[in-house]
Amino acid sequence: MNYKVKDISYRYSEDGKNVLNHVNFTIEQGKVTAIVGPSGCGKSTLIQIFSKVIPSLIMNGVLEGSFDMPEGTFVSVVSQTPENQLFGYGVEDAIAFGMENLGISQEEIVERMEYVLDLLNLQHLRNRSVATLSGGQRQSVCIASVLAMNPDILIMDEPVSSLDPNGKLMVQSILGQLRVSGTTTVLVDNNLVWSADIVDHVIGLLDGEVVFDGTRDEFFRDFSLQKKLGVIIPQEVEIYRELSKYFKEIDLFYTLEEAKTQIEQLITKGSGLKSFSESCSCAPIITTHNLTKTFSDGFHALMDVNANLPVGQVIAILGQNGSGKTTFVKHLNGLYKPTSGDVRYKGDSTLKKTVAQISKDIILVFQHPEHMLFEETVERELTFCARMQNVPFTEKQLEEVLNRYDLSDERETFPLNLSMGKKHMLTILSVLFSSADVIILDEPTLGMDDFLVKDLEQMIHTLTAAGKTVVIISHEIPLVFKLADSAILLNQGKKLFEGCKEELSRKEELFDAIHIALPPVVALSKSLGLEQICYTVEEFAEKIKKLKK
Amino acid sequence: MDYLQYVDGNSLLHRLDPRTKFMFFVVMAVVTSVIKSGVALLFLFGFFMIMWHISHIQKYILVLAGKLKVLLVFIFFLWLILGLFESPIVPYGPIFYKRLLPFINGQELYICFDWYDLYKGGVYALRIFLMISSFYTVLLTTNFSEIILGLRKWHIPYTVAFAIGLIFQIIPIVISELKAIMEAQSSRGLEIEDCGWMTKIKNYVTFSLPLLFRVISKGQAISLAMHYYQLDFKVHRTTYKGIKATYYDAYFVIANSLAISITILLRIYFYIPV
Repeated sequence: MNYKVKDISYRYSEDGKNVLNHVNFTIEQGKVTAIVGPSGCGKSTLIQIFSKVIPSLIMNGVLEGSFDMPEGTFVSVVSQTPENQLFGYGVEDAIAFGMENLGISQEEIVERMEYVLDLLNLQHLRNRSVATLSGGQRQSVCIASVLAMNPDILIMDEPVSSLDPNGKLMVQSILGQLRVSGTTTVLVDNNLVWSADIVDHVIGLLDGEVVFDGTRDEFFRDFSLQKKLGVIIPQEVEIYRELSKYFKEIDLFYTLEEAKTQIEQLITKGSGLKSFSESCSCAPIITTHNLTKTFSDGFHALMDVNANLPVGQVIAILGQNGSGKTTFVKHLNGLYKPTSGDVRYKGDSTLKKTVAQISKDIILVFQHPEHMLFEETVERELTFCARMQNVPFTEKQLEEVLNRYDLSDERETFPLNLSMGKKHMLTILSVLFSSADVIILDEPTLGMDDFLVKDLEQMIHTLTAAGKTVVIISHEIPLVFKLADSAILLNQGKKLFEGCKEELSRKEELFDAIHIALPPVVALSKSLGLEQICYTVEEFAEKIKKLKK
Repeated sequence: MDYLQYVDGNSLLHRLDPRTKFMFFVVMAVVTSVIKSGVALLFLFGFFMIMWHISHIQKYILVLAGKLKVLLVFIFFLWLILGLFESPIVPYGPIFYKRLLPFINGQELYICFDWYDLYKGGVYALRIFLMISSFYTVLLTTNFSEIILGLRKWHIPYTVAFAIGLIFQIIPIVISELKAIMEAQSSRGLEIEDCGWMTKIKNYVTFSLPLLFRVISKGQAISLAMHYYQLDFKVHRTTYKGIKATYYDAYFVIANSLAISITILLRIYFYIPV
């Protein structure tokens, strides 16, 4: 039994513009269907229609067409922020909540509880409180709580967007389990990096219309469509896309192993990495000396961290959640005062300065834009830092930024009405008008599609070209390696590594220790014996082309 | 340090039936409202301290005391100042200062600063602290799922019980949101540390807008989640977990009964009218 989306059109008000236009497709039972498309293409509206939020809770719109499913079909949704969806103090309470609402007997609740805990390998969490779980664990419990209600269709709305690599792996493995168990799953996410290997069917939406309806392989072979939709794809597929320009015989691959096997057959194996002699000797702009932070509950967040952040570079702070990355950068801008140790900017201690005083030199952009946005227009938000720090700016500079980043039409818009990605971009752009020499970006790609990520890359290049230092915390490891010059690796509050990217890429054991995978281009450069490590797909494809048999 | 939220643990208080704890709060609220004897209240305070110590929550009570200090000092001085205009009701004890001061229209104002003013201020501050801390003790040791279960066992409608539980679930979220907003704004150059009171008040207005939007968006997300979980207050709900009184509850009730009896006796024998 498949579920049919039949000619659905929708607008949020009588006289409004259609956000969905004659949408037709089929959700295949027991398969994983991915709905992709840029911000504002209508993905969220579709979720609301499938889950009957429209018209049950949102009643003012005009819905035409239908979502054909048998009487009593139950659709449930896992949202991108499990914190908002888990009701109950303990894991068991949270999982039982939905079943209790359905009026299921206690015996059956016990039975289903055991089933989902076993299915998703969550037995070890059952006696924990939800508040103490990691992001990935919370999302897993959220999926369990919805699955326990036995939905006919499970919709997952950007389920890994705020998770670290470990969390992503956890949800990825659960999605794999669901596919094996024959659960009909709809994945709504413009980032297919983590799910490419599992998805069966892809629906592409653009401006409220279906522009693609086909299999995963067909989608990944259609390069222009991927670009048009701004879909973030796995780096392995990007490698395939580049290599297929030079090697007609190459077949689509999704995993590192498949990539290696195929490329090895096409090239003469390289002579291996040349010895590395480059030293990272830029003068530091920020130094930390024996930085130690112990919170009032006794948790040691940082332990004796000595680090030099080189001027004018892009510096990545890497580590799993809980490794101390955010605590570290909050010391740099003065939000946290160390238990012991010191932070120095251009040689002077910052400990006695207020956060606002430090922000004139070191500015931190938070990962959730809603925490930062409060002005009434995009223009005022953009110039907020400049006004706070009395930095002069001209109308011409303002217009340039608005034009460059596609915000001209939204100059007078209320910032909170922008899409998540644009809101985030706006908070980042406001630092362009500040006096700070060091810009710290905490998870800057959150909510961004491929178009905005490219804009962000461009902006970071502009900042470093102007002599600014950019510190970046991100779980998007391929992007980090593409942009960063050097890195600091933290694990459980201790510094594991500090140095340039080239040096870090050669120390695979460090990545094993922190359970983060090297980007595919880096891993392939090494395993295929290239003379030097590549950090971008284009660079890698060029090197491979030269080794063609 | 966590504030205004449940603290995970397995102490005597944590293991009690939530209904026993609700009853404890109700009884203590009545006792502290009725009893105005300094000696009796000090005894009750001692009993509370033993209870907090056994349950390992004393450090959280200290945090509460820190947050309440302005209120408690205000109450203390309010009653102390009111007492300055009257003589002590009981004849014993030192008088530190007594005088008739010239007042408007040639009248005179009688001022008498004596031990009884200090006593009265102390008694009222202690009563308020005990009343609030008894509620806080329940809050620290009862998670919101137990609160809902306990209220339902008292035949409180699920709509009300769920709303109360939800409030306790949301309070820590709102506190952490406010903290994040303050950090984010100061990181962008808004001075919130080195500024005067007026600027601080103005800044709180600044923070309130993003906080309001965050709370609204959280509220929307929660109502969507309630829809996804098919929460319908008209439909009969079942429960996965049950609650049952155990011998811990019996010990607790006995200890509290004894403490209240002693408090009443102390009130009878050592009562100074306030």
